[in-house]
Amino acid sequence: MAELLQFLVAGLKNGSIYALVALGFTIVFAATGAINFAQGEFFMLGGMLGVFFSGLGLPLPLAAVAAVAATAAIGAAFELLAVRPIGGGDPLRIIMVTIGGAVVLRQLALHLFGPDERALAPFTQGESLKVFGAAIERQTVWIWALTALAVVALALLYRRTTFGRAMRATSIRRDAARLVGINASAMVTASFALAAALGAVGGLVVAPLTQTAFSVGAGMGVKGFAAAVLGGLGNPIAAVGGGLILGLLESLTAGYVDPVYKDAVAFVVLLAVLFLRPKGLLGGSGRTKV
Amino acid sequence: MRGRMLRLSMAVLTAALAAALAIGIAGCGGDGDTGDGGSTGEPIKIGAIVSLTGTYAGLGEPEKNVLEMEVKRINDAGGVNGRPVEVIIEDDATDEAKAVAAASKLIEQDGVVAIIGATGTGQTMAARGDVQRAAIPQVSMAGGTVITSPVDPLVFATPWSNLIVVPFTLDYLKSQGITKIGLISDSGGFGKDGQAVIAAAAPEAGMTLVADESFNPGDTDMTAQLTKIKNSDAQAVVMWTAGAEAAIIAKNVADLGIDLPLYGSHGIARREFIEGAGAAAENVKFAAGKVLIPDAYGEGTEAYTVATEFIDRYTTAYGEAPSTFAGHAYDALYLIVEAAKRVTGDLTPAALRDEIEATSGFVGIGGTFNLSAEDHNGMNASDLTMYEIVNGGWIVAQ
Repeated sequence: MAELLQFLVAGLKNGSIYALVALGFTIVFAATGAINFAQGEFFMLGGMLGVFFSGLGLPLPLAAVAAVAATAAIGAAFELLAVRPIGGGDPLRIIMVTIGGAVVLRQLALHLFGPDERALAPFTQGESLKVFGAAIERQTVWIWALTALAVVALALLYRRTTFGRAMRATSIRRDAARLVGINASAMVTASFALAAALGAVGGLVVAPLTQTAFSVGAGMGVKGFAAAVLGGLGNPIAAVGGGLILGLLESLTAGYVDPVYKDAVAFVVLLAVLFLRPKGLLGGSGRTKV
Repeated sequence: MRGRMLRLSMAVLTAALAAALAIGIAGCGGDGDTGDGGSTGEPIKIGAIVSLTGTYAGLGEPEKNVLEMEVKRINDAGGVNGRPVEVIIEDDATDEAKAVAAASKLIEQDGVVAIIGATGTGQTMAARGDVQRAAIPQVSMAGGTVITSPVDPLVFATPWSNLIVVPFTLDYLKSQGITKIGLISDSGGFGKDGQAVIAAAAPEAGMTLVADESFNPGDTDMTAQLTKIKNSDAQAVVMWTAGAEAAIIAKNVADLGIDLPLYGSHGIARREFIEGAGAAAENVKFAAGKVLIPDAYGEGTEAYTVATEFIDRYTTAYGEAPSTFAGHAYDALYLIVEAAKRVTGDLTPAALRDEIEATSGFVGIGGTFNLSAEDHNGMNASDLTMYEIVNGGWIVAQ
């Protein structure tokens, strides 16, 4: 029982990180109809910039905020400099641009921060919490809390603010949004910034557990993308669900089958879902739920 | 609706393709040449395949540093029989396919006479095909047993092989009254190799593997595997891995509240492990060569002098003490260079190989090398010491 509980804790821990990255995919997909392959690099930047800012002597909370803000700014700049000039519209072209952008960001991080893995201090020091025989690292509590906070904040933003409604309107029908006076291209920029910030939160909050390095983005990008597709692209709630399910699948496979096959099992399930439910497990009519 | 669905699956398909591309592109570049010096004549070209990026970047970086530093030193002192040495360094990004590409490039384009590398066991084995075709000697800096056992006439290795380190570690565990061990190893070259050696050696030593867990290189959470070890009746956790994942394991062990001693392999003998694991690294023990604390050799011995002078040179040049991996690169370079000095007549790959195999009593950083046709590693258990991590540094364990 304690064993199962421990596997669930591990699954929900990794799943929350996948969920944050998947949210980024889904937000940009909603705004542009394209997959942003630089999303994994935003995850990497969150961790690496967090290490960088705390290395400058900033206290951890300040360094964390600075890292997320800086990554959001990089996300916005990326959209302005690389995505907007190609004229938008065709998702394929945007996808190619984001792949190029991912390579550039990764190589920049390599040259600025070096090839070594970097460590970030835990947000709260101290021993793990014991719950019914399972150990929960304090950092895991932070991961859950910040993921929940990000999801709630996102929901409020979308539903309660004019800005959020404008973003939703743009994603539903760009032309119509423009007709009622919404600056559609500004909304696309905002979606990149938001996606980058969410990825950065993930990269930052997991760094104390796993360390981080310039190269962690690609692998996480694939996992986050898988989570977004598993849940159903374009739907934030589905992205979170997809992330958690992917994390649990991996953890239970590692625990009860064989850790070596955990990635394979997760992706086999992903393929099965795509065959049976092309819109994802939780994907209803994806376009209106944003 | 249908149109939307089609568009969605198109996007997914393109994206999946793109992902494959993006990963393939990751981590190109990082070539570098070294070596111009006082000596004249046609340079002796040696290729080096190191991991400057990827999981083994922390190992490959000091290796590259040493190669550059020592080649300059050799050339400043007149080179090898009047010829300068040129080492051409290629990054394999801890990727087996890239190691193969690097080996072909070094052989076909640069025409090297020997290859140093790779950093990792998997990459070393991957490059073997090209090495065989070109019939040039290869001196690996990776610790996997498969590299030198069974012996390949062309392939040598400078780190302590698992065949030496595993029995040494098991003996130590036994002296601590530990007979039931929970093992966690990576599914890559080094961990898989160590796992096989431990599984074979444990029964002979009167020990049982009560848990035998593995993980994939690059994994970031091993709590599932460690939970199973926790619930076994293991008396100690042994982790056999050389990558950055070791720090995660140490942290997971501490976070799960596993109250068992943690033992590592010689793959964790580096500062990044202590920095990454933080407080969780305390009291972790591992066997490695005496270069970490040269006093273990005994002051005044030749090994002590070689090691301390090397440490001084490296520290002056790079501002930090060298890791054991730096030592493996030193040994690989000098095994080749010293052998090249002994070759009379044409420096052909075959003549060079014969002289490397004839190395006897070479005092390097990892220990004293006595190579033979049966032994292409050439060290033994007397070159090892058990260390313990205390207060963020290592001491010789009692």
